[in-house]
Amino acid sequence: MSVSQIDVTGPSARVADRAGRGRRTRRGREARWPAYVFLTPWMVGAVAVTLVPMAVSLYLSFTSYDMFSAPHWVGLRNYTEMLTDDPRFWRSVLTTLKYVVIAVPLKLALALGAALLLKRLSSRGRGFYRSAFYAPSLLGASMSIALVFRALFNDGGTVDRVLGTFGIHIGSWVGNPHLATYVVVLLTVWQFGAPMVIFLAGLQQISPELYEAAALDGAGPWRQFVSVTVPMLSPVVFFNLVLEMIQSFQVFTPAFVVSGGNGGPADSTLFYTLYLYERGFTASHMGYASAMAWLMLLAIAAVTAVMFKVSRSWVFYADEAE
Amino acid sequence: MPEPRSGRRRLPRRRAFTTAVAAGCGTVLLAALTSCGSTGAAGHHITLTFTWWGNDNRQARTEKAVHLFEKEHPDISVQMSNADFGSYKQRLATQAAGGGIPDLAQLDYRQISQFATGGALLPLDRYVDDGTLHTGEMDPSLVGTGHLDGKQYALPMGRGITGYVYDATVFEKAGIPAPQPSWTWQDWADVAARIAAMKLTSPDGRTVAGANDGGSNEDVFEDWLRSHGKQLYAGPTELGYTEQDLAEFWTFCHTLQKSGALVSAKDSAQADATGVSAFSRGLDALDYSWDATFTGFTSPTGHTMRFAPVPTVDGRAGSYFKPTMLIGIGAHSHHPRAAAELMDFLLNDPQAGDILGVTRSQPPNRKIAAEVDGKLSGPDLKVWQFDEVMQKYGVQPPPSAPPKGDVAIESAFVREYQRVEFGLASPAKAAHELVVQAKQELES
Amino acid sequence: MNLTLRRRLPHAVALLALIALLYPLLWLLVTSVKPADEVVTSVDLWPRHFEWSNYGTALDGVSGVSVPRLLGNSLLISLGAVVGNVASCSLAAYAFARLRFRMRGPMFAFTVATLMLPQHVVLIPQYIIFNKLGMTNTYWPLVLPKFLAVEAFFVFLIVQFMRNLPRDLEEAARIDGCGPFRSFFHIILPLSRPALITTAIFSFIWSWNDFFAQMIYLFSPDKATITLALRNFVDQSSTSAYGPMFAMSVISVLPIVLFFLVFQRYLVQGMATSGLKS
Repeated sequence: MSVSQIDVTGPSARVADRAGRGRRTRRGREARWPAYVFLTPWMVGAVAVTLVPMAVSLYLSFTSYDMFSAPHWVGLRNYTEMLTDDPRFWRSVLTTLKYVVIAVPLKLALALGAALLLKRLSSRGRGFYRSAFYAPSLLGASMSIALVFRALFNDGGTVDRVLGTFGIHIGSWVGNPHLATYVVVLLTVWQFGAPMVIFLAGLQQISPELYEAAALDGAGPWRQFVSVTVPMLSPVVFFNLVLEMIQSFQVFTPAFVVSGGNGGPADSTLFYTLYLYERGFTASHMGYASAMAWLMLLAIAAVTAVMFKVSRSWVFYADEAE
Repeated sequence: MPEPRSGRRRLPRRRAFTTAVAAGCGTVLLAALTSCGSTGAAGHHITLTFTWWGNDNRQARTEKAVHLFEKEHPDISVQMSNADFGSYKQRLATQAAGGGIPDLAQLDYRQISQFATGGALLPLDRYVDDGTLHTGEMDPSLVGTGHLDGKQYALPMGRGITGYVYDATVFEKAGIPAPQPSWTWQDWADVAARIAAMKLTSPDGRTVAGANDGGSNEDVFEDWLRSHGKQLYAGPTELGYTEQDLAEFWTFCHTLQKSGALVSAKDSAQADATGVSAFSRGLDALDYSWDATFTGFTSPTGHTMRFAPVPTVDGRAGSYFKPTMLIGIGAHSHHPRAAAELMDFLLNDPQAGDILGVTRSQPPNRKIAAEVDGKLSGPDLKVWQFDEVMQKYGVQPPPSAPPKGDVAIESAFVREYQRVEFGLASPAKAAHELVVQAKQELES
Repeated sequence: MNLTLRRRLPHAVALLALIALLYPLLWLLVTSVKPADEVVTSVDLWPRHFEWSNYGTALDGVSGVSVPRLLGNSLLISLGAVVGNVASCSLAAYAFARLRFRMRGPMFAFTVATLMLPQHVVLIPQYIIFNKLGMTNTYWPLVLPKFLAVEAFFVFLIVQFMRNLPRDLEEAARIDGCGPFRSFFHIILPLSRPALITTAIFSFIWSWNDFFAQMIYLFSPDKATITLALRNFVDQSSTSAYGPMFAMSVISVLPIVLFFLVFQRYLVQGMATSGLKS
């Protein structure tokens, strides 16, 4: 299966339609009810686990609700309070944005670099390193690894000591509001293996003929990279970018562990999700937390839409060019 | 029978296998999931959950007492869990939201209003009335701290007072006499500066500061306020102090901190994150503490530890005797009576009292307190003697329980002062932000 | 000379990167057998003295609940997620990939859109609903949704896979009078094994690591998962328990590591072909 078959160009419904059309030409009409049997769990889930909760949370976002007494309607108050009267909300937004803007490009750059490196290895070595580099992506979401990072960057931890031998005495990163976010950033970047695997698959899709043609035209390695690799890989880059970004907005466990659960010190690791959890689950302001969730949904949708729009100017689709 | 070679004919076999596996997993899973709710049916074995916060000393003693209870009640077993205070608060709040307060939970004075008004705690009056819970030997005003809107939601587990634990060896080296009950905040600051000026070396090779920075601790602020003749709360939805009061307190702390008399911001933040104070790492010589917590202190340097009163303003004390912690029953407990029995055991059983000692300060039961006090030794005895002195010094009675919302304000207090410490906000600005947040919490 | 250097350089770089990358894991392993005093005072990575009793302390568990029990709880939830996701997602995926029905386009678009939906939007109402149903502190909230094909990623993954299966077998079966049900069970499902295995593995690992949901839904110590217990262990122990704490950390990631070692081929391929994750 090739990466280009993943439809990143637009609504994937198109793919489904295409497949459906093929079927129609081959056979005439047939019974439709079996499809709904197959879809029963999915439909129940879509309604009960996704759509209804979405509607409920939208409703709750306009109420004040503490889980004990019935929600009461407050109109837009949660939203206006959040936007105009809650310095912590803005701190959480800034912390999250800072994290996304730093961690995502860094992670993708490393992933791309590693993919290019592995492409040059023999296939056996490539297989080994691909798996080995991928391992952190599975472990990185666990509490254990977050604890390890916290300890490594703690006062007297490995990082502090190693830097200390170079005469740099920073002390604890975890306890320093200027640095605590970077511990979470590094933990994220450490997991570059997942996008790397996708980049590698993308690289292997690029036809060797393109490189041969470029070499015939006298292009050196750099020139080949710029005019063949970059454009051919751009859909995969874009795809990774969108996904990593959406995930990064939702980071929770590492922030929770690194900060000891409270987003500290001085709110420096108060990620959006952490603040949402605190408002909703420890302070029992479920209405406010719902409003935060909806704002997050809107923000992610908006950023994604903008990215798709901008992507037209730099993402190159081979099948469209034909 | 030879293995069929055609792919199609092999399929049903594999399918049968897959189906069997799936069905097997499903059954096991279903059995496991449905068995969840069935433990501890009436008349049979009961499992209670009991949770608290505290140091290793308290953990060891509490476990021992509970094991004794289990021995006396073979049909009841108790699952205990504990945590440091910071995590404990957060976890209990999350559980309260989901109706999941354990059968028995140690509670902070500040949590009572929040949980009781939220319906997370079971009123205890029934068990007090039917004689399961005994309060006869307890000071009524202390029992009253667990009373809200005409109902008893919790009972006190101890009666204690705050103070300063200090490194007596360092004090001696510096030629500083033991602090007297009438010492002032200015004396306190001078002592801290003098110790810092000695530039002693801590176990990890750094310079020892004078004192811990209490700027992020709402309890310290409360004592400071009260010694200035004010209160933390003027009413259920009203603060008892102004932005200026708080800014003054934070300026006092921060100025001292910048001069090096108090531990660095980094070390304070580290302590907040890990739950290990700078004092217990030997980084300073003077730290705010509860009398009960003091008994669990061990010095990393082998120094002698003593306990001193909270400073005053011209002799006016800010600290007061209050319930160090209370104990309550989760509103959704399946075994409230058994939980009440365990509660009564911990509070009123002489043997349990003997085991628990003063790990939660003075036992609330007067008889047990008298019994326990006679047997004290070491740090426990020091605390008792201290309490005796403070008793005579005439500290004020406890104010009414902090209102709902105070838990959130307490966290905000830490946060906002950290902003001051790291230069992210001036004391005045942080004080303004805190008061804004506090008002929101109190009014919501 | 120049040629061998050019060949070896990438290997050398990859090896260096690997060492840097695996350092935290090595540190975790080593610290788990370090005695308490060395954790605090020693700069060396390698312990001077191995303290195997750290594992003994860790195995005692938390709040009187033993580690095997905690692992069992985690396993129950994760296996529940595996069975649920594989069953429900493959059913839905088959419909999307092979069957025709009204609203297929919009319905599939909806599934793809939920890939981008932040969990938090549905989290609070789900929590409230499960709470009202009295299902907090049970495993239902963690397992039940998985039987309803709500993890769009897996539906998407299996659809992609099924769409690329040759149609000849089904066509032949259809001529023999095979309906969609037999077709699904006899032909498509067995052929989709790689995608189902990838689904199973990811379901397992994500569910194992899903600290947030476990934290809000499970309260009592005997219901705790190994991840929750680890958190509780951290909260209730001082720095002197560093060794046992990391011993417990090792135990808690061991199943993931084993899964990874056994199935890494499927995992990495699954990633490469789907290009998606959590």
